[in-house]
Amino acid sequence: MNHLSSETFGENAKAALADTQLRGALRHATSLFGKRRLEAARSLSNWEDLRTEARAIKDEVLLHLDRYLETFTANAEKRGAVVHWARDAAEANEIICGLARQRNARTIVKSKSMTTEETHLNDALEAAGMQVVETDLGEYIIQLAHETPSHIIAPAIHKTKGQIAELFTATLGMAPTEDVAQLTSTARATLRDRFAAADAGISGVNFGVAETGTIVIVENEGNIRLTTSLPRIHIAVMGIEKVIPRFADLDVFLKLLPRSGTGQRLTTYQSFITGTKRNASDEGPEELHIVILDNGRSRMLAHPLTRQSLACIRCGACLNACPVYQQVGGHAYGSVYPGPIGAVITPQLIGIEKTAQLPYASSLCGACREVCPVKIDIPRLLLHLRAEVAAGPKGNAMERMVFKIWARVMMSPSLYKLGSRAGRMMQRVMPLSRAWTSGRDLRPIERQSFRDLWKTKYGQ
Amino acid sequence: MDSRETILSSIRKHLAASPPDLYYTDQPKSVFPESVVAPAPTSLVDLFKENVEAVNGHCIVTRDVSQAVTRIITDLGARKIAVSDTPPSAEEIFEYDVGITGAQAAIAETGTLVLDSAREKHRLASLVPPVHIAIVDASSIFQTLAEALAFIHQNGDISPAVTFITGPSRTADIELTLAIGVHGPQELYVIVNQGPSLSH
Repeated sequence: MNHLSSETFGENAKAALADTQLRGALRHATSLFGKRRLEAARSLSNWEDLRTEARAIKDEVLLHLDRYLETFTANAEKRGAVVHWARDAAEANEIICGLARQRNARTIVKSKSMTTEETHLNDALEAAGMQVVETDLGEYIIQLAHETPSHIIAPAIHKTKGQIAELFTATLGMAPTEDVAQLTSTARATLRDRFAAADAGISGVNFGVAETGTIVIVENEGNIRLTTSLPRIHIAVMGIEKVIPRFADLDVFLKLLPRSGTGQRLTTYQSFITGTKRNASDEGPEELHIVILDNGRSRMLAHPLTRQSLACIRCGACLNACPVYQQVGGHAYGSVYPGPIGAVITPQLIGIEKTAQLPYASSLCGACREVCPVKIDIPRLLLHLRAEVAAGPKGNAMERMVFKIWARVMMSPSLYKLGSRAGRMMQRVMPLSRAWTSGRDLRPIERQSFRDLWKTKYGQ
Repeated sequence: MDSRETILSSIRKHLAASPPDLYYTDQPKSVFPESVVAPAPTSLVDLFKENVEAVNGHCIVTRDVSQAVTRIITDLGARKIAVSDTPPSAEEIFEYDVGITGAQAAIAETGTLVLDSAREKHRLASLVPPVHIAIVDASSIFQTLAEALAFIHQNGDISPAVTFITGPSRTADIELTLAIGVHGPQELYVIVNQGPSLSH
């Protein structure tokens, strides 16, 4: 399948809107996720306090990120982990391919990691001659289909079970069935052999605890536990923003993340991994490598507004709440991270030039801000990015001029009076901007202004 | 300059360039609120059992653990049983029907088991076989997540691998339809021991 580009969001969205199967799948998934999130949040009496606390912790970390990363590294290394630093995707992939090559790893199992989607790690490993298998059920489905994830926590959300059944029949030789339990057990059986044979396991990281050097990974399926327990080497990829100060801070984040993501009080498994095993006869990998990735993140620290983008814990709640995502799904964004948070992060990671349409993929309704467990002001960030687009080469000179005039008019009572009078006359003869009116009504300007009405009624 | 220094100095440079935050103060807000622990509505054991069952686990509260275990194994007709004291190798464990392990603690509010790898070799026995039987002392059940986190991080130390388990393995990756038993166990039996402690 052709991967879509962020540069053509408008066309991608139109195509998605015409896909009734996709829209059915999205409607079902996003409304169910939203309902479960609300129920889970309501099960706690101090939800708002938790959000405030989580944001305060993230703000504290980000303001001293260098120090927390150094503490995390020192503590992880004290416990036997090897920490690597990667400035960008290419360097991260180089480090990981190098580790796999040196240890003669042929088969690699992977658990779901948006960060490795961002670095296109699978392509790099395959180019280096290694076999890499995604083991999260949703990721496995899209790997078989040669697609990309369309949701941060439910990668195959855009597919119906009928489509998945067809895929499994064609690629795994499964007898045709649309029974979800049967589909799941087919994947389980196929992937068990891969786990048993794997030389290396690659995972992401949800939280890196500076105080202890611990990495914490949450999941439901058990594939992360297998990935991080069975192979002799475990490589964990972690964005610089994943670090949190204290172990006790996990209380707040482990309450917010599963409730916001899937609506669970806790996901089935939390793995707390601190360095390597103590005795050779213990269970678990011999080596733990943690790759810390920047890839454009440190730039976002330069302003309080953009800095908050790094507070994101990747729960996916803003995707489910977004009226745009609900209609067009993740692929239309043409970016690794879709939805409102994707529209905010992607332009900052890869540059506004190639992503100029993304900040406009929003009605600015504020639903994303409302559900965000760390209170990221996504609408404000989108406006900030829109301003950047408008000021840049992709900006429209006409638009800039119109708004300059608008500002002048709105600041002067006499110009405003003149302007509304002119508008009243003009609206009869001239259709207003088609970009605005093709998708919505524009209320006509009233025949009399409020001031005129007041004057006629009270004579002043 | 190596990558570590490049990244750290990029962080410092961009933070230094940042104008003061008008919306959030830059004072470290390290005050961690004492979690408000409401008294458990019922006994911790009852609350724990209720929550294990809410996530599709089985929960047996007993003074006679060995009888409970024997009954489960007989009912299942299980043949190959992995026990965490002397677990089979990573290659062999895929052939086993049942894994039996202890749990060092539990969380009543969420129905969660806490497995500490420094105390037992239960990483694979609790994960690979299709059935997991876990035994936890009634006296080791905490009410809250915060208490369990404090328990695994005592005296500033933490084991190489700690695992929280809440119910059997599950997924909702296909149309958000719940399917139990993906990569981990399809069935989880939790035995709450009200008799004398079995650990050590």
